[in-house]
This record gives sequence, structure tokens and C-alpha cells, in this order.
Amino acid sequence: MEERQRTAQVMVVDDDPDTVIILARHVQREGYTAIEASSGLECLRILRERSVDLILLDLMMPEMDGFEVCRALKGNQATADIPIIMITARDDLEARAEGMRLGVADFLAKPVFRRQLANRISAQLDAVAAVRTAEAALNRLRGHLGGDKSK
Amino acid sequence: MPPEAKLVQSIRRPSIDQSLIGEHPTIVKLRLLIERLAATDATVLITGESGSGKEVVARAIHDHSGRHASAFVPVNCAAIPHELLESEMFGHERGTFTGAAGPRHGLFSSADGGTIFLDEIGEMPMQLQAKLLRLLEDGVVRPVGSDRSTRVNARVIAASNIDLAAAVKRRMFREDLFYRLQVVPLVIPPLRERRSDIPLLVEYFLDRIRARVGARDWTVTREAMVHLWSYDWPGNVRELEHMIERLVILCEDSVIDTAILPDLLLNQTRMSEVREPTTIGDKSLNLNAIVRELEGRLINQALKQTAGNKQAAARLLGLKRTTFAAKLRRCGVIAPSDTEEPEES
Repeated sequence: MEERQRTAQVMVVDDDPDTVIILARHVQREGYTAIEASSGLECLRILRERSVDLILLDLMMPEMDGFEVCRALKGNQATADIPIIMITARDDLEARAEGMRLGVADFLAKPVFRRQLANRISAQLDAVAAVRTAEAALNRLRGHLGGDKSK
Repeated sequence: MPPEAKLVQSIRRPSIDQSLIGEHPTIVKLRLLIERLAATDATVLITGESGSGKEVVARAIHDHSGRHASAFVPVNCAAIPHELLESEMFGHERGTFTGAAGPRHGLFSSADGGTIFLDEIGEMPMQLQAKLLRLLEDGVVRPVGSDRSTRVNARVIAASNIDLAAAVKRRMFREDLFYRLQVVPLVIPPLRERRSDIPLLVEYFLDRIRARVGARDWTVTREAMVHLWSYDWPGNVRELEHMIERLVILCEDSVIDTAILPDLLLNQTRMSEVREPTTIGDKSLNLNAIVRELEGRLINQALKQTAGNKQAAARLLGLKRTTFAAKLRRCGVIAPSDTEEPEES
């Protein structure tokens, strides 16, 4: 799991170019591939062309904010399962509650620490991998059971 | 189904939603997995930190399975002394050892037709692991001191708060048993990895207390909720539950405010984000990394307290402004842009 996760593709979405650069650098230092997007629309456009394993999403963005991006991602089967870590103000519980309803996996507040960021990313990637392993095990089992029943 | 019938059923068998509270994407998926698992007899290995709800998940699988009318037998392998564990689990014949006045059924026999939940399976002694493996393969139990085996039909759900795969590598756990147990591996995330469920859980525990002690409406202030959300909950959901019970007793006028929160929750400088091992002898011990982490946490706290004012934050930490700025860069801190100073941006 460790090896596979090391090459995970992490998308950084923020309208502030400096933040994108810093976050992307942190992400790369942890051994992930960073994919940069400067707006929600760019995030969605990139996702039509390639897949990513996790999205770091700023809430406060002009034109299309983090919530709208979330709705678009969760409304599309191809992107619905990508874990989203949303960057909000620490005490903005309303925003977090809304993010929670939209299926955001975790929240971070600026200033973002490299170690904290690394832990949060790996935690959500691990959780997704664990669920997939369990689903695959169950599917294999069902295959066996199905075979037995048909006899 | 008429509504009354549905109600009766829900009283008898709590829905999976009621046993595993949360709307985090992983929890939502876990509930679906539990539902699917309940329809099978597969052996399940649940991994999760202490207090994260391993037994809740095991019970939910049992309650929704065809075995729900039979017993759910939880066994904590760490709580029973090793020398007693074998006879507890498999039973014993009369006179097998001092004090064994009569024959006794083991917990596996009690779980016949139902489910046996083997918690902290990693603590099971090696010799007993071999016996458990035979049972899983043959479906028969042989009580201690007996030469007769009896067939049992118990579903096995095991749980561990340690990584059993790592225990296998260290030769503390049998590899063959590990694979036999983890037919379907379930991992329950710690509460700090699904913080967004904290408000829901707080509400749930308050509701439960309300139902127990009578109607009273508690309110959690916004500030208190921010602290509950930010704390790392090393004891997970169980720790949160105990905390809520404590806060309800402490609070005045049914308001849960920061004034009654313990220091533990208010002090966010805990080193819980540090995943580096902190024991001498651990190969990956890195003192520099730990020191940097602590520096980072204190810097973060100082910046929060001073609303991003770096000069004031430096004073709080007893640092020169330039030293503080250097540390800020090294810790990889992204300061809020409105407080960013020209020479540092």
C-alpha cells in the first residue's frame, strides 16, 4: 500500500498562485505527484482528462467556490469517490458543516503545516484504499458463493 | 410494511445507521460494507484504534445477519489471563486442572449458531492461535482435557488495534491464521480522520443522555465545538462519549462552554500529529523531525493567538523577529495572505 500511495496523484486547487506553489511543493516532498489547478473550472477540466487520487480544495475562490466544485465532483460518478480535503477557516463551522453534507473527507485551516498536511493526505488515501480492499474481498467472496449456488 | 411494524423492528434491531454514527464518506461506505457482510458468513478482521468502534461494527454485522436470533459472544483476548483463555474459549473436562470441578462449555459453544467476537486477537498466545486455526478450518471444538471433538457453527469476527500484518512480520502472529481471519478486512478510521462527524456524535451522545435522564436541552457553544472539533481524540469515539458525559455534569444552565472544557482540549499543542516513533531504539527515530514538529505546533498556536501578527507571535515565543521568520519558513507554514510581510513572501 505504501509504494502505491507514494505515487498517488494529488490535485491542489487554489486561486492564489503562491499557495498553489507552496502546497504543491509540500505534496511533492511527501513523494506524491502534484497537479496544480488555479480555479474550480480548471479542476473540473483536468479531471475530464485524467484521474487523481485526492483533491486539496480551497473554499474561497472567485467564480466557482469550493462548495460548487464539491457538488460537481460528487454529482459525477467518475469523480464522486475522490477524497476532498477542504481548506477553510478553523472556526468556520458553518462552512465545515456544509462541506460535510457535500461529502468532504477532511478540513484544514491556513496556515497549513507540512507534517499536518502529509498526515491528513495519507490518512484519507489509506481509508479509501482500505475500503477498496474490503470491497474487492467481498466481491471475490460473492463470486465464490455465486458459483456454489449455481451448482 | 405498516409504520408500526417498522418501528417495532427498529427497536428490536438497531439500524446500521444507529450503531455506526457518521456521515464521513468512509463511514458511509463502511455501513454499506457491513450490510453486504451481514448477508454472508465470511470471517472478518476489523482493525481500528482503541475506542474507534470495533465491537459496534461486529455487533452490527451480527444483528443484521441471519444469526441475529442467536448469541453474540464478545471475548477480549487481552483481558483473560493466557493460561485461562484456552479453557474459556474451548471449554474443559471435569478435573482437567485444579478448580475444574465439572465440565464446562467454552465460549465457542455458547456462540453456536451465532457470532463470536475475538477482540484484541493479536494478544492471543501462539499455541492457542494454532488451535483457533484448526477450529476455523475444521469447524470443530475440542475442550481442554477431552479426546472428543464437537462441531460448532459460529461465525468468527476478530479485531485488533495493532497492525496484524506487522505482527506477522515480527513472528508474533501466525501468518496462516492471519490470512484465514482476514477473509474480509475492515478498517475503522480513528475519529481524528473523520472529524466532520464530531458534531453529529456530540448530538447523538447528548440525545442518549437526554433519553436516559429526562428531557433537557443542552447547547454546545460555537467556541466549545471548535475545540471539540480540533482535539485529536486519541481515545476516539469512546473518549468523546465519556467527555460529553462529563461536560453534561459540569455544565451550568445546560450550556456547554469553553469554561468547563478540560485543559487537554483547550491546549492544542499536543504532539499528536507527530507520527515519528518517540522511543529510543526505533529505527526511524528522528529527533530533528520531532523538534521541528513541536516548533511548528507552537508557532501555529502563537500565530492563531495573535491573529497572524508575526511580531507579536515572536514575542509570545520569546524569539527575535528574524529567528521567528526563519523558523516560519523552515516549518513550511503558509501564513494567511493578508498578514504576509513583503520580505517573507
